[in-house]
Amino acid sequence: MVSPLDQCVHCGLCLSSCPTYLETGLEMESPRGRLVLLNLWAQAPEQRDAAISQWLDDCLDCRACEAVCPAHVPTGHLVEAWRGESEDAPRPGRAQRLLMRLIENPRGLKWLQRLGRWSQTRVGRSLVRWWLTGREDSPLRLQQGLPPLQSRRLSREQITSNHRGPGDLWLFVGCVMDAIYAGTNRHAADLLRLAGLTVVVDPRQRCCGALHWHNGQRAQAQQWAQENIEAFESSGCRMVVVDAAGCLTALREYPVLLAGTPYEARAHAFSQAVFDALEVLSQHPLPPLPDQGLTVTVHDACHHVHAQGIRHQPRFLLERAGYRLVEMANASQCCGSAGIYNLAHPDMSRALLAAKVRAIPPQAEVVSAANPGCLLHIQQGLAASGTPVTAQHPLDLLWHAYRSQGYLPGGGARE
Amino acid sequence: MNEWLSSLVDIVGAPYVITHPAALKTYAQDGYTLASGMPRAVVMPGNAEEARAVVKHLYRHRIPVVARGAGTSLSGGAIPSDGAVVLHFSRMRTIRHIDWTNQIVQVDPGVINAEVTRALEPYGYFYAPDPSSQQACTIGGNFAENSGGPHCLKYGVTLNHIVMADVILANGEAVRLGSLAGEPEGLDWLGVLVGSEGTLGIATQLWLKMTESPTQSRTLAALFDEVADASEAVSDVIASGIVPAALEMMDRLAISAVERGSYPVGYPDDLAAVLLLELDGEAAVVDEEVKLVIDLMQRHHVRQVREAQSLEERALWWANRKTAFGAMGLISPDYYVQDGVIPRHLLPDALAFIDRTARRYGIRIANVFHAGDGNLHPLLLFDAANPADVERVQAAGLDILAYCVKHGGSITGEHGIGLEKLDAVRWQFTEAELAAQAMIKRLWDPDGLLNPGKVLPTPGRCVDFRP
Repeated sequence: MVSPLDQCVHCGLCLSSCPTYLETGLEMESPRGRLVLLNLWAQAPEQRDAAISQWLDDCLDCRACEAVCPAHVPTGHLVEAWRGESEDAPRPGRAQRLLMRLIENPRGLKWLQRLGRWSQTRVGRSLVRWWLTGREDSPLRLQQGLPPLQSRRLSREQITSNHRGPGDLWLFVGCVMDAIYAGTNRHAADLLRLAGLTVVVDPRQRCCGALHWHNGQRAQAQQWAQENIEAFESSGCRMVVVDAAGCLTALREYPVLLAGTPYEARAHAFSQAVFDALEVLSQHPLPPLPDQGLTVTVHDACHHVHAQGIRHQPRFLLERAGYRLVEMANASQCCGSAGIYNLAHPDMSRALLAAKVRAIPPQAEVVSAANPGCLLHIQQGLAASGTPVTAQHPLDLLWHAYRSQGYLPGGGARE
Repeated sequence: MNEWLSSLVDIVGAPYVITHPAALKTYAQDGYTLASGMPRAVVMPGNAEEARAVVKHLYRHRIPVVARGAGTSLSGGAIPSDGAVVLHFSRMRTIRHIDWTNQIVQVDPGVINAEVTRALEPYGYFYAPDPSSQQACTIGGNFAENSGGPHCLKYGVTLNHIVMADVILANGEAVRLGSLAGEPEGLDWLGVLVGSEGTLGIATQLWLKMTESPTQSRTLAALFDEVADASEAVSDVIASGIVPAALEMMDRLAISAVERGSYPVGYPDDLAAVLLLELDGEAAVVDEEVKLVIDLMQRHHVRQVREAQSLEERALWWANRKTAFGAMGLISPDYYVQDGVIPRHLLPDALAFIDRTARRYGIRIANVFHAGDGNLHPLLLFDAANPADVERVQAAGLDILAYCVKHGGSITGEHGIGLEKLDAVRWQFTEAELAAQAMIKRLWDPDGLLNPGKVLPTPGRCVDFRP
């Protein structure tokens, strides 16, 4: 058996796929360079220092290198394992820790929602603006990427389950999606039902654990993974459906998270039942709609395009729903959000965001992105650049199109 | 800080001078893993002027310089000799100008090969040299190595596609070689520089020829049950006078690796060999040629001939073929790829010889190569952790190169001499030929500062050669 580090034959084909290499031009910020550093880290502990851990920790975990690697070297996974196991890996900062606390349970999520709503009141807005003056790196800058928040309830409280039997879909509502993008979860349920499927929202579901897993809190992530597996198994549903790319990949990678635990086999079965809402919808014959008069460009979330090979589905669905598509250059290059990477690596993250915003073609009116991190991050970049272009989840776009054509309740006219 | 170092910081700025030992270690190798060398610093110039100032400054201190693009060389071309300064061109990666009238593209040395074609494709043109590493490798590196690729069979190698270049000499002087008109006046200095592996000069700006995309392009995969049948079919295609755009071959071991890689195309696992053929040009001619080729394949007992049904399928077949070297990581910890060339009529005999060599040394050899121009790429699989394995592989490799030279071929088709083939150079050239090359080197670089220890065999080598 060839070990993952040995699998790298130094061909260098990964270099041009790596956002941090393209941004810095440094070999140690490339996947191939990081593998050399990981080897050094393991074999020469006396040489470990802050500079090396910074280069390693700069990895976005976007998986672009894994998708192009001819030898399937799991560089992203290896860096992730290093982050989790190494005591010298940079620890999450205050803002990251706060966010990770808030997403731990529905009560915290409600606080997250409340904070978001307050930040959009007149007083809240001026407070945020005052705080951000001269603070380029503040995590609070993400507030500028929030969608307009009206809802006082989490999506799990808004979506009624139409439980009928073993054919049901177990809708995974996530954490940030549940609080900040509650509307998108609702739209997902509406569209899946329009496609003739039944949807269940299980109150027992927990956060997927991705943020904790990728930030060195593996045990916590494992605990939630087990709870999610148990809840799904006892629900009698046949499929887990997700609408956030990050959660999708985390749920599908439960076998990796739970490897070597008694849950490993069950994690495999669970993983095979997980699907993205975009995958499910493109397998179902929703009616084609007339021209919506709106031009959309698709940003591919890393955990869709690189980790899961989902690229065709959002384009197919949006086109079927009557949107005009225009491709952006490097649609599959990371926007710099990368979970909560943007909070810990403001400089790199800002540089990648600037490149993403620059790549939006002039005809585009909307950027479609199927992941909450990307949505927040890109919307913030768009707001700062002063363009009227907005970032929206493809499910929201689809929902509006089907509703305007009278396929969904309250339809017949645009909102 | 030493004067030589602080001046470099003054020229390019502190973030672009790297001296951290762990960082330098990431620059110790390229795509060739049998050797390594530690640079004393890595410098990343932001433009040609900075690059020139850096070389000039290092010349004053007589510090050797090694240029690096993406570090994908398969012969160690970008491995620094110990103590050299690596000039990394990753910041200079802009396509400067597309001159549609003269059909010339002006690029920085750090521009990725595939990006040139991506910029031209929407307008019906492409950049012809397409090394398998084209998704990552740079034009500056292609210039240094005179890179080839599958489509060089019809379109020619890098040398045929660079018309002009700005080059820094060893002393930091800048010269422009070649001309936009194409044909050189007087001696063809540009021709001397292309393929000199960074030992004579360093390119800072290049002017490339664009090629009009063919109106029709058809891609076939011919599946064979016997390697001998496949190689005889290749000889027959060449003898028929047809010049395919590309004619590639992979054997069973290579197929088993790529089918487990990132771009599986679904080749049956009991195949002995697959030939990948591309025919392009005027539609009517191409259609005639396809018929003829299929007929030739059938005469050699082909199991099946498939045709790519869409552009996506064609792209997949090529991605499958072009990631073959990297895919070796799936079936072996290390590989050593060779680049020997043989006269094409000897293909069946050469493959049989490689097979016998593998058996004699008890090693596995996969074959992925440019069959159409007789450019072999035997991939000798080994485990670097096992010294006996390394020795067997190196001995087997030398046997194969000796075979190529003995039969009127060459030790390298496109990967360069680098560090890898320094010993074999002596078989290829006579003493007089080597002396003539050494004279050219002395003329351009009297102090031996540019990429020392490469291309020309010298008595003492300063690079650590494993084992």
